[in-house]
Amino acid sequence: MENKINNSNLSSPLGARGSMTHKERFLATIANQPVDRPASWLGLPVPAAVPGLLEYFKVNSIDELKIKLDDDIYPIEVPYNFPPSNHIACAFKFAKVSHDDKPDERTLTAPGFFEDIDDPTLVDTFPWPDPALYLDVEASRRLAMAANPDYVRMGVMWSAHFQDACAAFGMEKALMVMLMNPDMFTAVIDRITEFYLKANELFYEATKGYLDAVLIGNDFGSQNGLMVDPDSLRTYVFPGTKKLIDQAKRYGLKVIHHSCGSIYPIIQDLIELGVDSIHPIQALAADMDAQTLKKGFAGKTSFCGGVDAQHLLVNGKPNEITAKVHELKQLFPTGLIISPSHEAILPDIPPANVEAMFNAINS
Amino acid sequence: MNQELLEKLSECVEFGKINLASPYPPQMKGMPGADEITKEALEAGVTPGEILNEALISAMNKVGQKFSENKIFVPQMLLSAKAMSASMIHLKPFFANGSVKRKGIFIIGTVFGDLHDIGKNLFSMMVEGAGWEVIDLGIDVKIEKFVEAVQQNPNAVVGISALLTTTMVHMKPVIEAIKSAVPETKVIVGGAPLSAEFAASIGADGYGKNPQEGILWLDKISA
Repeated sequence: MENKINNSNLSSPLGARGSMTHKERFLATIANQPVDRPASWLGLPVPAAVPGLLEYFKVNSIDELKIKLDDDIYPIEVPYNFPPSNHIACAFKFAKVSHDDKPDERTLTAPGFFEDIDDPTLVDTFPWPDPALYLDVEASRRLAMAANPDYVRMGVMWSAHFQDACAAFGMEKALMVMLMNPDMFTAVIDRITEFYLKANELFYEATKGYLDAVLIGNDFGSQNGLMVDPDSLRTYVFPGTKKLIDQAKRYGLKVIHHSCGSIYPIIQDLIELGVDSIHPIQALAADMDAQTLKKGFAGKTSFCGGVDAQHLLVNGKPNEITAKVHELKQLFPTGLIISPSHEAILPDIPPANVEAMFNAINS
Repeated sequence: MNQELLEKLSECVEFGKINLASPYPPQMKGMPGADEITKEALEAGVTPGEILNEALISAMNKVGQKFSENKIFVPQMLLSAKAMSASMIHLKPFFANGSVKRKGIFIIGTVFGDLHDIGKNLFSMMVEGAGWEVIDLGIDVKIEKFVEAVQQNPNAVVGISALLTTTMVHMKPVIEAIKSAVPETKVIVGGAPLSAEFAASIGADGYGKNPQEGILWLDKISA
C-alpha cells in the first residue's frame, strides 16, 4: 500500500492541532523535553479491524484515519516479495509443519529445521535467504518518499532475531539448546542477525533522508515475567540487538524497541543498548504499569504505549479510556508516546474507544 | 540409601539434570542424571510410588514455585520437565499395570481460533510433574474435540488456554458444550488476558494466573 498522506485534504475534528510538528513532538518526547501535548501513535490495525474503523470515523483509509486522529508516527512496512505472506517477519521457512505463514501465525513452538542438529558447523545446511532477492529497494524508496515528512516516518523492521532463533529449532528445543549447547544456539541466532543486518542495510540505504525511526524487537516477556533469565538474554540475544541498534543509529534513526509482556528487569539493559523508546508497556503485565515505570525510569528513557489493550480498550467505556489517558498525561508530561499497549489493533476494540483515546490525548 | 537416591533424583529434576551426558547444569556436569538415578533407585528397591511422590512431584512443585516467583525462567523449567520425563519413562510400565496411580486425567488444549501454545505446553509439563496423566489436544481445538475427549474420559479435568482477547471469548461455548456432555466435568482456564472474574463469568470452575496457581487448584479439587 502506497502512502498518500496529505494533511491539507482533511480536517481534524478531534481537537485543535498543537504548536509542534509531529516530528518535533516525537523528538521532544523521547528526549524527555516539554511538549505541547503528548506524542501518540495509533498502532497497526489488523485487516479485520479496518472496516469497522473506517465506517465509524467515516474515512476511506487508515491514512485518512491517522490524519483525523492526528497521531505522530507513520509506519512504513518493509516491502518484501516472498509469497504467500510477503512479509519480512516470515522470511525463514524453519517450520517442519505446514502453517498459515502469516506474521501473527508464525510457528514458534513447532519443530524447526535445526531441531535435531547439534553441530554448529552445520548451520549452513539451512538455505538461508538472501534479502537482496526479496526486499524491494525501489518500493522502499517510493514508500518512504511518499510519506508526509512532517510525520515521524518509522520503518517497521521487527528484525526479531530471538524469536526467529526460537522458530529455527522449535521454541522449547531452542531454549534448552541455549543452555545445553550454547555454541549451536549462537551459530543460528548469529546467522539470523546477519540476515537482518543485510536486509536493514538495503532498506536504510534506499530510504536515506526519508526515514526518521525504526521499530525493532522481540517478545521477551510473558504476563508475569521474563521468559528467559536476564543473564541468558545478555549473553545470547543482546549482542545481536546491539548490532541492529548501532546500525540504525549510524543512519541517524531513532530506535523504538518492542517487547510484549513483563520486561522490567531488562529495561535498563535496553537503555544501555541505545534504545530511544520502549514499546508497548503492556499495562497489565507484572510491573509494567505506568506508575511503576515512572518510578523506575522517568527521565532515563521514553516509552510508547500504556493504554491497556487486554481489557480496558476492549471492554472499557469511553469515559474510562479518557480517564486512563488523563492519568498517563499526569504521570508522563513527556517521555511517553501514548498508544495502545499492543501495536496490533484487533477488531474487538470498539472504534469509540479509539476516538476517546485520541480525544483525550489531543485535548 | 534409598532416601539418598530420592534426594539425588529430586535434585536432578529441580535443577534440570537429564542424564549423565547432559552438560547442564554446569555444576552437575559428569554426574548421573534423572535417567540413571531412577534406574538405580528401582534396582535398589525404591518403589515407583516413592519415586513419583517423594522425588518427582516434590521437585516439580519446587520448580513451579520458583517459576512463579521469577527465580527461574522458561529454559530452566523446560530442562526440569525434561529431567522429569527421563525419569518417568522408567515408571511407565508401573503406570500401565496399575501398580502406581496418577492423580487423574487432565485434558488440555488452546481454544479454537488460538494458535498460541507456549503457556499451554508449560502448564501441561507442570501438570504431568504434579502426578497427572495429560492428554494434550494441541492448538485451535474445536468444541467437538473437547467434547469427544471428555466423553472418552468422563472423570477428566479440562484445561483451556487463550492468548488473545479475540479468542478468549470462544471459551464460553466450549465450557457449555463440555458441561452439557459430561456435567460434572471441572474446567480450568488460563492465558495472558484472562482474569478470575472473566473465568467465573464464562462458567469455568478454576483459573490459574500462572502454572503454580493452576497446580494448586488441581491439587485442591483432587484431594
